[in-house]
Amino acid sequence: MEDLIKELKELEELVIRCMKCGTCQAHCPLYKKDFFEQSVARGKISMIESVYEGNLEDASRILKYIDYCLMCGRCKNNCPSGVKTDEIFLRAKSALRKVEKLPSWGTFVLKIVMEKPELLSKLSPLMHMGLKFGSKQVKADVFKPLFGLYSRNVASIAKKSFSDAYAGFHKAENEKFSVIFYPGCAVNYIYKHWGETIVKLLNKLDVSVYVPDVNKCCGIPAATLGDMQLYAKMVNENRQLFKNFDADYVITCCPTCAYGLFDMGEKVAEETFDKIEMDILVFLKEVIGLSPKQLTLEKIALHIPCHYDHSKDTFLKDLIKGISDNFYELKDQSCCGFGGTFNIKNYNSSKQIVKNKSEEIKTAEVEKLFTPCPGCAMQLTDGIIREGGEAEVLHPVELIYRGLIDSECFRR
Amino acid sequence: MKKSMYKKFQKIAGKKNCFVNPEELSGYCFDAFAKSNAFPEIVVAPESPECIPEIITLCNEENLAIVTRGAGTNLSGGTLPFDGSCVLLTTKLNKIKEINKADHYAVVEAGVVTADIANAAASAGLFYPPDPGSMNISTIGGNVAENAGGLRGLKYGVTKDYLMGLTLFDAEANKVIGGGRTVKQVTGFNLPGLFAGSEGLLGIMAEFILKLIPPPESSKSMLVTYNDILKACDTVSQIIAANILPATMELMDNFTIRTVEEATEIGLPVDADALLLLEIDGHHGQVEDEFDKVKSICKKNNGHLKIAEDEDSKNKIWEARRKALSSLARLKPTLILEDATVPRSKISSMMSSIMDISRKYEITIGTFGHAGDGNLHPTILTDKRDKDEMLRVEKAVDDIFSVALSLGGTLSGEHGIGTAKSKYLEMEYGSGTVKFMKNLKRGVDIKNVLNPGKMGL
Repeated sequence: MEDLIKELKELEELVIRCMKCGTCQAHCPLYKKDFFEQSVARGKISMIESVYEGNLEDASRILKYIDYCLMCGRCKNNCPSGVKTDEIFLRAKSALRKVEKLPSWGTFVLKIVMEKPELLSKLSPLMHMGLKFGSKQVKADVFKPLFGLYSRNVASIAKKSFSDAYAGFHKAENEKFSVIFYPGCAVNYIYKHWGETIVKLLNKLDVSVYVPDVNKCCGIPAATLGDMQLYAKMVNENRQLFKNFDADYVITCCPTCAYGLFDMGEKVAEETFDKIEMDILVFLKEVIGLSPKQLTLEKIALHIPCHYDHSKDTFLKDLIKGISDNFYELKDQSCCGFGGTFNIKNYNSSKQIVKNKSEEIKTAEVEKLFTPCPGCAMQLTDGIIREGGEAEVLHPVELIYRGLIDSECFRR
Repeated sequence: MKKSMYKKFQKIAGKKNCFVNPEELSGYCFDAFAKSNAFPEIVVAPESPECIPEIITLCNEENLAIVTRGAGTNLSGGTLPFDGSCVLLTTKLNKIKEINKADHYAVVEAGVVTADIANAAASAGLFYPPDPGSMNISTIGGNVAENAGGLRGLKYGVTKDYLMGLTLFDAEANKVIGGGRTVKQVTGFNLPGLFAGSEGLLGIMAEFILKLIPPPESSKSMLVTYNDILKACDTVSQIIAANILPATMELMDNFTIRTVEEATEIGLPVDADALLLLEIDGHHGQVEDEFDKVKSICKKNNGHLKIAEDEDSKNKIWEARRKALSSLARLKPTLILEDATVPRSKISSMMSSIMDISRKYEITIGTFGHAGDGNLHPTILTDKRDKDEMLRVEKAVDDIFSVALSLGGTLSGEHGIGTAKSKYLEMEYGSGTVKFMKNLKRGVDIKNVLNPGKMGL
């Protein structure tokens, strides 16, 4: 226990910057639902302080509250004092996990998903079958499991993972750039077609693509479950792996993976990184110079993922606005409520958070909802179905690729 | 807390709205002024105002004092709990019950966030002017309890000027109604006036009737740069002496300008000794007319005036002001935000005294604030772990208060007294006044159960 208090005390330099102004309340999706201090950054920071100030006897009991967090980063992004809440909470959880054991599902995630990606890859045909027979189909490619407590509407799991199907070098005919594409677990097993589309699209645009043989998890689930060592290991293994390829860029399509590997990743990285990391859409715009226009007449909307590089928000909005003249700007700009491991632990809260946005999407009769994040896509698909909405949830590359093919046909 | 007592609270407010675990209680041992080592016995968050009298009765039976708390953003320690207290959280009393367009008022529960009221009024084509810095977070109950101000105080007044009526529960759990829906109302004591700034000492407020007004037709924002801050202060006094009431007149000193620019890269003139940010609003003709006069006063004081031509540059000006406190906060671990206020003609003397005090005690003070209503915010940047510096900071604060009072000013323009300034109350008003306030408090709260000890009462 003394070690634990010492470790929490080490956070003081970060914690002391919090002046308890409460600005985080206005941005925290959980506070806006609960209206309690223990849901929001300021209250959690006070708990950590209270431990090392000697006002809380059983320090381990604060884990439950620190853990009740989407890690959406809104408190950090909007904090007037620049408090690094994400770092504080990840480090606090890591300290607290040393005294509080993980639940068994957490151990499973860490052992199998992190350390045995090959095994998980082999399991995916089984999971595919399980989902096909143990669930009812609610929409094309969306299923609702019939058993278990977890009643989320889920996209189907691919028979063969993306990495298994696409590992290797995909050379473009007139190669101008070469890049590494890092799919991340959600694209590897579930949104496999995003990965396929990105490889094909890049090839068409004269970009050669390396796909690593095995998709190693970015480590974020380990960090959020309080295993910072394993997180650091995953970050460093991935960055080491990228080094082996003769490419200038690492392309991602999951903002949370990008955050884990490169943004927060910098904190645990052993070496500096020699390549440029870019989200696929930013790469298309800034490196290739692609500005797709008028790809559909349908009513479209955009959900900006929490971990998207927010200096690119305006660019992202302009890109989506360009795709259709019928753009609807969502009033609800909140987090979707997915939060990775959060939604496994707190599915009811997670559902409540996505409800308002899903209702808005339904009422506004949005036909296509774009979001460049597989986690958000999963959550919004579930939320929209729950509210009885019709909107299809897509990554923008899906339409951009189709548009490119169509325009080529037209030119011919 | 005894289990039987806890159960009684749960029965009133619901299981999920009562907290007694120390971890949970630690989330309520602070406000934006300070953190205390004492935890309350229980935190209870009623979902309906009807629960409030039951909670009061139970607290009376169990000898618990009641600390009413909204968003906990106040800057004077008014919501700090203590041993043997019950924190009554109003954040779940958050219904906007009515926006009346015909009679220009709103009826809201105590836990509604201020900005939500302003937005609801705007959607109905009306205007709720009080705009305290924390309006996106603070609750209206807290605004009334502290009589919160904001940037528009100069022309539009503060929270009390918009409080038409209220419903509250007293220390004996009686329902008390003050004011109402009419513009004129003199039935009995002016209870809304008494409760604005009452800091939770006289009753627990549950519902308010707020005045809304027609919004101004047009507005003009401008930024004036000075190479002498005292000239900027003179400009403020002269504009007011010329019978012009801008909606806002905000001042930033050089230290604040440089800090904001470093943090935001808005494009502020970092060489300027001071900046004035002004907004004039009203009818088109009036705005043009007043603008000409303001321009010539600025020129006379060697101020360089730049007008915001479009919405974008207008937003940039106000973004610069809104970011002042936050940008300063990033520099040092501890920030002490002062609130002493002087008559507007004395702004320039106050400013030069602040600069003297900063030099005398060798501490960093960034000053910005609502120059137009004499409400400057000298902001001391320090580190609470540095004991030696904290002693000097304390002396500097004492000096700031003395100067403000000697200039005919007040301890607090908009942040309240709470625990932070209770020891100075007598300095401003004398012992007779403190005794009167004590008698008033004891009169309506014989056992002193409502936020006891705050304001020194």
